[in-house]
Amino acid sequence: MKGNVVVDAAKETISRHVKLTALLLVTIIGSITAGLIPPLVLEWIINALTEKSELSLMAIVLYFILLSLSGALDAGKESLITVFGQKVTHQIRSMMCRKLKSLPADYYTKQDTGTTVSRFVGDVDTVETLFTSGIISMAADACRIFSILAIIFVKSPGLGVLMVLVLPLLYLLTRAFQKRMLAAQLDNRQAVGRANNHIPDTIRSIRTLHNLNKEEYMENRYDTYIQEGFRAVNRSNFYDSIYSPIIIIVSTILVAVMMILSAKGGWLMAFFGMSVGTAVAIISYVGKIFGPLESIGMEIQNIQSAAAGIRRINAFLSEPEKETPAGTADSQKDNPPPIQLQNLHFGYEDDKEILNGLSLTVNAGEHITLIGRTGAGKSTVFKLLLGLYEPWEGTVEIYGKKAGNIQEMERRTLFGYVEQEFHAVPGSVQDQITLGDPAISREEVLKALDTVGLWSTIKEFSEGLYTPYQDSLFSQGQIQLLSIARAIVSDPKILLLDEITANLDSDTEKRILEALQEASRNRTMLSISHRLYEYSGGRYITITS
Amino acid sequence: MKKPKIGLIGDYLKKQKTVLAIVTLSGIIYNVGMTAGPWFEGRLAQCLSDIINGTKGLKDMVQLALFYVAVILVVQVMRYVKRLYVRKFANNINRDMKKDLYHSMVFKSREELEQEGVGSLMTKAIADVDACVEGIRKFTTEVFDTGVVMIAYFVMLLSYDWRLTILSMIFPPIAFCIANRLKKTVAQSAKAYKGSAGLLNESTYDRVGNALTYRIYGQETRRDCIYEKCLTDYEDKAVRANLWENVMPPIYLVISMAGCLFILWFGGKNVLGQGWTQWDIAAFVTFMSCFTKLSAKSSKAAKLFNSVQKASVSWKRIQPFLISKSPVQKEAQAKDIPMANAKKALIAEHVSFHYEGCDDLFSDVSFSASPGEIIGITGPIACGKTTLGKLFLGELAHKGTIHICGNVVYMGHDTELISGTIEENILLGDVGDAWKALSWVQMDEEVRQLPNGIHTRIGNGGITLSGGQQARIALARTLWHRKEVLILDDPFSALDMQTEQKIFETLRTLTKDCAVLLFSHRLSLFPQMSQVIWMENGRLLVSDHETLLKENPEYANLYRIQTQGSEKHEGGIDDEG
Repeated sequence: MKGNVVVDAAKETISRHVKLTALLLVTIIGSITAGLIPPLVLEWIINALTEKSELSLMAIVLYFILLSLSGALDAGKESLITVFGQKVTHQIRSMMCRKLKSLPADYYTKQDTGTTVSRFVGDVDTVETLFTSGIISMAADACRIFSILAIIFVKSPGLGVLMVLVLPLLYLLTRAFQKRMLAAQLDNRQAVGRANNHIPDTIRSIRTLHNLNKEEYMENRYDTYIQEGFRAVNRSNFYDSIYSPIIIIVSTILVAVMMILSAKGGWLMAFFGMSVGTAVAIISYVGKIFGPLESIGMEIQNIQSAAAGIRRINAFLSEPEKETPAGTADSQKDNPPPIQLQNLHFGYEDDKEILNGLSLTVNAGEHITLIGRTGAGKSTVFKLLLGLYEPWEGTVEIYGKKAGNIQEMERRTLFGYVEQEFHAVPGSVQDQITLGDPAISREEVLKALDTVGLWSTIKEFSEGLYTPYQDSLFSQGQIQLLSIARAIVSDPKILLLDEITANLDSDTEKRILEALQEASRNRTMLSISHRLYEYSGGRYITITS
Repeated sequence: MKKPKIGLIGDYLKKQKTVLAIVTLSGIIYNVGMTAGPWFEGRLAQCLSDIINGTKGLKDMVQLALFYVAVILVVQVMRYVKRLYVRKFANNINRDMKKDLYHSMVFKSREELEQEGVGSLMTKAIADVDACVEGIRKFTTEVFDTGVVMIAYFVMLLSYDWRLTILSMIFPPIAFCIANRLKKTVAQSAKAYKGSAGLLNESTYDRVGNALTYRIYGQETRRDCIYEKCLTDYEDKAVRANLWENVMPPIYLVISMAGCLFILWFGGKNVLGQGWTQWDIAAFVTFMSCFTKLSAKSSKAAKLFNSVQKASVSWKRIQPFLISKSPVQKEAQAKDIPMANAKKALIAEHVSFHYEGCDDLFSDVSFSASPGEIIGITGPIACGKTTLGKLFLGELAHKGTIHICGNVVYMGHDTELISGTIEENILLGDVGDAWKALSWVQMDEEVRQLPNGIHTRIGNGGITLSGGQQARIALARTLWHRKEVLILDDPFSALDMQTEQKIFETLRTLTKDCAVLLFSHRLSLFPQMSQVIWMENGRLLVSDHETLLKENPEYANLYRIQTQGSEKHEGGIDDEG
């Protein structure tokens, strides 16, 4: 399956949108053909004029109709390619999104978000250009070149031969230029990066720079960076500005040679097939063949950069997926305890066992505090309870059900989890609590907010619960309260409380402890907070490796 | 202070007179020369026709063809010259503007830069310069490549047959009007597309970044649905924006080209001798070809106006930062104050300081330092050491007087390294041997091990180096630039004791002519200091190590703990204050 994401996605798109695909093919062929014919009609008109015969209105109208048709088909081709490309990239992104659910929790702790996001954004974008200005347009351009060549061969075999000789050389020249330009552009980007970086750099070091009187030095340095960038731009500009002149001069020379040889008369004239109309038509064709040639060079470049993107997307899609729990049979006891851990063995890395043989039963309504030194595995116990990881050995059961087997739908009524740090989600203040779940009613939200004592604050916001969330709306302590409200809004049976890492003053801490006490009432609770234990009592469990 | 002068865009343009003159000349030659193509195409066809009719010979064709190639060659060379100089013109303006911006920035005080995010505003202004100059460049390019060339084509058409020209030129303005009418829609769809792309981006970040939170709360499937909605919206907006952008230009072109109906009909009549003027085939072909090119250009004419608009928007944002061109007067360092006692390098008399709205951080501080002296200053955490150090920089207003003979060189907590090479960071543009400075701070061997040695780039703020390496490079820089008074705020905190001792010895030999104030938490070196100042509760006790050890239990205690501790674990204590 490797290397086939794009192919798969394209296939799926094709099979889902047969009509679209067919239409795309028709417009591509149509636009190539329609682009070829107008010069032929023009040739016909001019030949007629040279012979001083009467003007044919039909030919003139036909010329314009063909011209319009070619324009329309061009537009249609462009837009259909876009539509098709968008459908394929949509497909790829959907595939990638589906993958997220089956990735192990480990993936998220080890990979930084930015890297994964760039797979979704940047890398898929390169696939988008693969379609919009990559393979499809390359095929179209190649067809165009060949059909123009064919017409030239028919109309003027001599020029056809000349073209066949010159085109490969021009193509090589095009590629060489494009490669050099790309290199120059990379250099420029690097220099621009340095120049841009110089500003924050200066601001950061401003005291030293003032103190040592280095303002001028920094100004010169900045100027050097700008100059470096310009030199690179000029290099790319040199190739850019010399390319078109070369192409135009070559085509001028070709036309000149063709005209001279035709003018020689005799067999050469026959070989170059010249009537006046043909000459005009051919000049127009010669002009048309170089556009696609240049485009093909760019398209090859796009395809190359897309290849790297596709490789990375593939690597992402073949990331190992999370294991499904072994021995899926849940225990069939009557009235099982909320939490039962039996002979747990677990570690994040193969050679480092963190939990070795932990067993623990928590009864309904019990309040448990886990203690132990940093790294002993307190948070790890939580992660196993939440089913984020599968134990190496032993079982984790929540109401008799394997932690890893708990369905999405049941989770919120089983668990509330107050994380170490609050993770804000996009949306309103209410969304922070519901996580955007429409199944949670406003009443439930209000009740949770009331429990943690935040309602009075939120009430004062301009749009109340619907105020768009920003970190600056709340103090550090209030964000913790929000986190608790999120945990208890669905009235879960079990509340898990991680150690809060934020630095809070003692007043705020007191408020939070009160809120937690309120929240833990009538619930089974596991916490890693000593302060809470001191506040509300319960049972201590020591975790040791 | 001079009255701020408002920068004018004209000032920047004026400087580029010569370049602009070359651009104008080559631009006009090139674009007028563009008409040569169609003209020659016509002549060539005519010539061939004449040869077939036997009125002309091969020689005429050879002459014409060679002339054709020569003219096109000249035109294309002009094109190259024009492009090169337009770029040069833009580059020069860009450079001048950025220089001025940077100049006004680098002389701003630290407070100013930190206030109200001036720093980030400056960064944005720099980006605006790019946008503004890009607008100017595009405008300059389009003036010639669209404006001049269109006029040239138009004049050429008129010269062939003015009635037919007017008739056929009805259509390009129609295309232009439609384009203008739809401009808003196009811009809106492009904006919607950008917005949707932003949302998708945000949604991706959310889905990936909060994946575990969603997993815990069983919201993954629902979030996937939301993501899918974003994808659908994105697809929709992308297609729509691309349609407006890609579909319309060919259609405008077709509308513009409608004029060819008249040209073929009436132009044909001209050739046949039944029209307004008498044409040969050459005229017919030239006219047609010229018209085609003009139509293609006119569908792009809107660009010219867009570029002007973009440039002026950016310019408005840059202008406020370009106010003063003369160097901003630097804040007076404490050095301006005349010296009472020529032998001392530094004298502080009854200095008090408080932050606004707070009590005195310290008050009535008096001490002095002679050249060659190293004074150790210490005290409990948050006793005001760093603030006292900064007073000598003249950054803060204070009571009392500070006399300094010469200049102060300051090394703060923040190493303030620039992202360049190690050598650049030490010399900061001076000429000399940076290896020497590296050896002072015991780092020459380490640097020799690096693949690029002293030319190793150290990244933003020295990020590729360890904390100890950063501190030593900053110290090397400070020692290289040493002046009469050296203020070192905790220079050794990231170093181990042995290195600290070695560097201290070098420091002593290097600073025979300087007075050094060394602020530190670490007291192991303090027995070697000529004076020791103990700061506590806003008071300064000016004394020496021996006396303090005897008379100040706090100092003695701190010293004892540290020297005992260091025996146990070499490598120093992490004592960030």
